[in-house]
Amino acid sequence: MSNFLKAEESPFDYIKIKPDDESHIDIKNRKTCLKACENKPCTYYCPTRVFAWDEESNQIKVSYTRCIECLACPYGCPHNNIEWHFPKGGYGVNYSDQEDLS
Amino acid sequence: MGNDRYNVVIVGAGPAGSTAALLLAQNNLSVALIERGKKPGSKNMFGGSIYRKPTAKIIPGFWKEAPLERTIITDELWLMDRTSAVKAGFTGLKFNEEPYNKFSAIRSKFDPWFANQAVKAGAKLMTETLAVDLVYEKIGLLKKKVDGVKLDNGEVIYADVVLLAEGASANLTQKAGLRGSIEASSLTLYVKEELALPAKKIESRFNLEPGEGSNIGMIGYPTASVVGKGGLWTNQDSISIIVGGYLNQINSKGVSPYQLLTRFKEHPLIKRLISDAKPIAYKSHIIPKGGYESIPTLYDDGILVAGDAAMMVSGRRGTDIAMLSGLYAAETIAQARAAQDYTAKVLKGYKKRIMDSFFMKSIKKSKNSKQYYKEHPDADFLLTKAANDAAYRFFTVGIEASETKMKKIKDEIFGMQPTKKTLTDLYYGIQDWGIF
Ligand SMILES: Cc1cc2nc3c(=O)[nH]c(=O)nc-3n(C[C@H](O)[C@H](O)[C@H](O)COP(=O)(O)OP(=O)(O)OC[C@H]3O[C@@H](n4cnc5c(N)ncnc54)[C@H](O)[C@@H]3O)c2cc1C
Ligand code: SF4
Ligand code: SF4
Repeated sequence: MSNFLKAEESPFDYIKIKPDDESHIDIKNRKTCLKACENKPCTYYCPTRVFAWDEESNQIKVSYTRCIECLACPYGCPHNNIEWHFPKGGYGVNYSDQEDLS
Repeated sequence: MGNDRYNVVIVGAGPAGSTAALLLAQNNLSVALIERGKKPGSKNMFGGSIYRKPTAKIIPGFWKEAPLERTIITDELWLMDRTSAVKAGFTGLKFNEEPYNKFSAIRSKFDPWFANQAVKAGAKLMTETLAVDLVYEKIGLLKKKVDGVKLDNGEVIYADVVLLAEGASANLTQKAGLRGSIEASSLTLYVKEELALPAKKIESRFNLEPGEGSNIGMIGYPTASVVGKGGLWTNQDSISIIVGGYLNQINSKGVSPYQLLTRFKEHPLIKRLISDAKPIAYKSHIIPKGGYESIPTLYDDGILVAGDAAMMVSGRRGTDIAMLSGLYAAETIAQARAAQDYTAKVLKGYKKRIMDSFFMKSIKKSKNSKQYYKEHPDADFLLTKAANDAAYRFFTVGIEASETKMKKIKDEIFGMQPTKKTLTDLYYGIQDWGIF
């Protein structure tokens, strides 16, 4: 299926996230992505497209600030290659105060 | 805030945690309720319906105060194909009278209200606080007992007993060695959009009076051959729409959940229900569907597990089972306090209560349905296709005698696959959708 980023309207217009300074998502072994993972399912199962294959550097790019903590990570990666933990208390997605969205 | 001690520390202010916190605080135990979100509900989403009966067991008459959306009077199941839907449903106007049946709700509004009931009863709620580990004390030579939790700021909160109500992630449950790792085939992943629409429009589109609500579940078209479901709920002045399915199938079929949602919204029968409605929220969450064999060890010395963390989900129900497991946990903890013994010896009473519950019986039963879908991932698709083809034939005005028409339809349906499988498809299709 086609690319989330190419969609005309983006759900990010109505998602509120308070990103931490450090990433809460890491790829354990970049070689596994390159060598062992044909379909790269992380690039489509993620509902906010946190993972994208970067052609230039030949690796997965992780935009952790887009994560809405659906908890599909780390289970979605067939190679158990995603290190995922909760953002610090108070950080990350916030579905409350939806009306504060500018 | 120093390194405090409480009778009970509860990790997670969802329905399971807040229930236990409320009941234990009412019982005069000191309770700390820990939540990583800015508020309870900040991280939580569901379809969804709040069921009256189990919830009223915890807070009688809760509907008078709780932030609920609409009283559900209409429940429908649609078997959807590209240009049609075979619909089964029920509208009961009695459901709009006290004590009601169920309500549509939004968790970011409901959860903070619910947690606040525990606070009013005396529980200490700590938000923006992540529990990262358990701490132990030695009991005897070889054994250790959970003695509290460690927070992400390094502080430790001590407790006689820790209740893990941490939801589907179950990080600490796993750390405590109570649950093994889970597979993508035991999880479903859903995405949701809330779309703003004036109440009057909702009421005329769904044939409702003010305050009344409708809930539609859909199989077939919405999930594009992934085993899963679509769903629609009417809120006070918005519509919730969800779609999703098994994570391993999302992966193997190369389906993106956001694309599924976009495609679902474009379906001509959905499009007309949500036209002019403006998206105001996009959310996503997994549901642990491991079923009976994945239920973790529910207790150990100084620790209990409740709700989604314990994989206690059945069909469309989850919040109510979470609340009831929170209730059983609270009862067991109260007993442990009376006995001044928080070891597994007393806490095992929790497991007995859970195993005897009605919901455990239905979780056990759904084992067959899970196995069935493993063997026949195309069941819903075939079922909806056959039903819609037959319905098109049936309702088409023709010139043949109706007996001839009926016979043709029958032959077609029964010719499509062995009879037994068609009927079984229907049976599991409805059973997996859960109660109506
Ligand atoms: C798409 C979808 C639709 C659903 N529809 C329905 C429905 O219509 N009706 C229904 O009854 N159920 C429904 N459910 C199921 C229901 O949402 C869950 O079963 C229910 O939320 C479980 O409650 P819980 O208290 O166990 O966990 P949760 O509600 O997940 O609460 C856990 C809480 O713990 C917090 N937390 C987790 N870890 C930590 C930590 N380490 N430190 C601090 N805080 C932590 C989380 O932020 C969260 O607030 C649905 C679920 C989904 C995903
Ligand atoms: S699915 Fe896992 S192994 Fe494959 S590309 Fe993504 S992170 Fe790498
Ligand atoms: S947890 Fe969900 S939203 Fe976050 S990166 Fe993983 S799939 Fe994406």
